[in-house]
Amino acid sequence: MPKPNVQRTSNLLASVTDEMLGGDLATKLQNNTIRVERLLLELVRPHPVQPRRVLPERIHQAFHQQQLTPTQALRELIQIVQIAARQRSRPFNNILELLTDREEAEADKSAELSPEETLLRDLVNLAVTIRDDGQVNPLTVVDVTQGVTRLYRIETGERRYWATWLLRDFIPDSGSDGTIPCIVIPGERASVFRQAKENTSRSGLTAIAMARQAALLVLSIYGQAIPENPVDNDFYRQALSLDLRAKREYTDAVLSAMGGIGKMHFSHFKNLLHLSDEALELADRHGLEEGVLRHVLQLPSESQSEMVQQIITFSLSGRQVREIVEQHQIGDTENDTEKPSPHAMRLIKLMRTVDEETPNALVQMLLREERNVHLARARIETMIAFLQEANHLLGEQ
Amino acid sequence: MTHVFVFTNHKGGVGKSTSATNIALGLSSVLKSTGAANARVLLIDTDSQAHATLVTTSRKDYGSQDSLYTVLMAERQSAAKVMNDCIVQSQWDDNLHILPASSMLEGAERELIGVAGAPYRISDPLSKIMSHYAAVVIDTRPSFSLLTEMALIAATDAIIPVEPRYLETVGLLSVITKINDIRDGWRIPDLKVSGIVITKMDSRIKGHTQLLEDLKSHPVLGKLICGVIPANEAVSYAHNNHQSVFSYDPKASASKAYAELVVTLIRRMVQG
Repeated sequence: MPKPNVQRTSNLLASVTDEMLGGDLATKLQNNTIRVERLLLELVRPHPVQPRRVLPERIHQAFHQQQLTPTQALRELIQIVQIAARQRSRPFNNILELLTDREEAEADKSAELSPEETLLRDLVNLAVTIRDDGQVNPLTVVDVTQGVTRLYRIETGERRYWATWLLRDFIPDSGSDGTIPCIVIPGERASVFRQAKENTSRSGLTAIAMARQAALLVLSIYGQAIPENPVDNDFYRQALSLDLRAKREYTDAVLSAMGGIGKMHFSHFKNLLHLSDEALELADRHGLEEGVLRHVLQLPSESQSEMVQQIITFSLSGRQVREIVEQHQIGDTENDTEKPSPHAMRLIKLMRTVDEETPNALVQMLLREERNVHLARARIETMIAFLQEANHLLGEQ
Repeated sequence: MTHVFVFTNHKGGVGKSTSATNIALGLSSVLKSTGAANARVLLIDTDSQAHATLVTTSRKDYGSQDSLYTVLMAERQSAAKVMNDCIVQSQWDDNLHILPASSMLEGAERELIGVAGAPYRISDPLSKIMSHYAAVVIDTRPSFSLLTEMALIAATDAIIPVEPRYLETVGLLSVITKINDIRDGWRIPDLKVSGIVITKMDSRIKGHTQLLEDLKSHPVLGKLICGVIPANEAVSYAHNNHQSVFSYDPKASASKAYAELVVTLIRRMVQG
């Protein structure tokens, strides 16, 4: 059946309205202020391109590709943590046990938590806080409803979203009514700049999340549509070939949305997207800082994830990473006799003064600098291997 | 707060579905034309005859998977999501959304007898999704059955359509008494009888004019009269064509009377 003539309806009702509605009444109806509503959890979804990742990458991708429901995604996370916890002799059946184990784990310094375990503990803690004190801080969501298909995309508060799901489906007798308070932004008022400001104004954004955020802003000012589907790192890497300098009119807005950082700092963040996929994921999961990661970029991509793993295992500082990377570069150039290497020259000068120091003094200084006996030993072994190789080459000549 | 208008009367043929459908469209259209931030209106059809569903969606074949029946039979925890998923867009206007009725609703009452919390099976899920709507309009069946009780528990404003005849006017008092019983019995303080709509008014009939005058002069009922809809063949023809009376014949006296009623209800919505 053809759709009735809606225009005639509107004309009649509009004319009656003009006659009968006072100006004040019309103004009240037009009130377009941002509103806070309790929304059904099922109608709220995290944004797949949100720079800040809450769930591990594999679960994140599967969830956004509709392969997992929110409950299934959380169940996967819990299973990962259960396996890790069992391996560390801390098995648990109920996620609330994670909170009772917390003090013991903190007392036992050797019992380091995996990022997933830390994440789940934080979510459970947040869920219990919501259960006991209520959701004091509403999420910020964008209304992307089309027709009768209601949907709200999360701008900020994804952790609270997951904690509320956890409360609803995994914490018995939680009293959750399956809704969550949200500040609803009308779809037309949403923008990547708004989202960036909301993100950067809160603490806890990792360097990799900042890199993704920088990429989203650059892509946006170059007119690239931000997709509604999950994307891989290559999507963000498109920003590497784009420059803020060509869009000077947006520079201030972009830097302000990034939390008021400088151009140089912005470039440093964006450049992190040069890291390999594996290195990016590791660095994001472990929240490594930009100052540490920037040196990893000097390495070939196949070595980057290994270096990131070393940084995580030994808690290396930026300076230590820089030195290791420089050493790696020396190793790479040692066969290159055409170019005089400044690092080789520095080493030769050091060799000339080696008898001015005792081994004990070297060990003491090395331990003081590296703060880790394993790392100090690794340094010495690397140096021995390096010198043996040099000696071998000398013999050949 | 979203106002939930329920059109109810245990007498059939008094214009409940006609009023509910046209008022729902009218609310949505007026809100839209005034530039309101939210002009969405939800119409819930609780009558198993599904007349309101038929005229607004041109369909009557909703069943166990996509109607109010589905919501009533859903698990408590998932009922709100099910309700949201069953809502369809009206053929009349994009902002008018319909939760369709099904002939299966007849059996739903039997299935729900003795089920704990049954009377709240509309109000509970509705409370979780109604903030999306500027107003909700509920059409009820011509009886005080469990479904009508559910509709009243979910409502904030009960509006009683009534024909200007002696026996109907006598019945009006029993409707008001029943609504008050539900408000007190189920402790629904938000529910109030907020209007009487006189339908099928024919000013040429002396009895109609006399009864209307009597009602208007009544100290309580007189204040409740919020609209007088003249008897008008445009209403019947609009139904036949699955159209609202506004779009079928905007110049008809019934169209203008419904439009005035819409404005009255919007004033109440804004003024709280």
